[in-house]
Amino acid sequence: MNTITLSALAEPNRLRIVELLRENPYPVGEIAKRLVLRQPQVSKHLRILSDAGLVKVHPAAQQRIYQLQAKPFKELDGWLETFRRIWETRMDNLDEYLQELKEEQKRGKK
Amino acid sequence: MTETTDNVKREDLVVTRILDAPLALVWKAWTDPEHVKRWWGPKHYTSPTCKIDLREGGKYVFCMRAPEDQGGQDSYTAGVFKKIVPMERLEFTQSLSDRDGNKIDPVQVGMPPDFPREIRTVVIFKAKGDMTELTITEYDWPVSQMSVYSYAGMHQSIDKLAESLAKG
Repeated sequence: MNTITLSALAEPNRLRIVELLRENPYPVGEIAKRLVLRQPQVSKHLRILSDAGLVKVHPAAQQRIYQLQAKPFKELDGWLETFRRIWETRMDNLDEYLQELKEEQKRGKK
Repeated sequence: MTETTDNVKREDLVVTRILDAPLALVWKAWTDPEHVKRWWGPKHYTSPTCKIDLREGGKYVFCMRAPEDQGGQDSYTAGVFKKIVPMERLEFTQSLSDRDGNKIDPVQVGMPPDFPREIRTVVIFKAKGDMTELTITEYDWPVSQMSVYSYAGMHQSIDKLAESLAKG
């Protein structure tokens, strides 16, 4: 798993920016306004997110619009899927194994 | 939700599952290392060793080995039993560890900076006729992790929707 993606997302304000951009692409001023952050601070965060490949900037008229990129999130998704499903899979394994044990016990009694 | 000294918001992860086996057998499967080796690790992983010192304050060390086609490396999980009520309740910690069961820093093995160094886990066993209900709670996952989970979850629902639409 790409740790750059994870460390870029680990900062609370950057995660808030990502969550906001999930709704819509926005220019930096709009992001700052909506999240009540200072614009230079937002620019700094956007640069880190952009270096990590999480956002891409599109020039539109006088503005620069920031948009989320799907690829790193899909990679993250694949990685987290294994993680989030640990317990589900583990319980599937346990259930299967318990059935084997029950069978063994039945055979043992014969 | 609780807030700890480092100001990171935390949340609990709860999984409930009914297993088709009597309580005594489920308890044994959780507490006997030879049994644990057979199911604790991810699919296609094997477990060369598992040590369990089943008493309050006792330690466990679980080794899992990745399949050959994924590199075949060993990784370890370890922890301490905090509370044991036979056939009812197991409380223990979980940490990434080395082969001797010493905690290792998650960041060094590529986990994000707020990945918990230790996860407090409670498993409750309840008989439901011939079956057993397990409730597993992992306490205090940092919320930023959870938000990333829900983000991933959203992507999945979208993917599923896309699939069903494609099938028409």
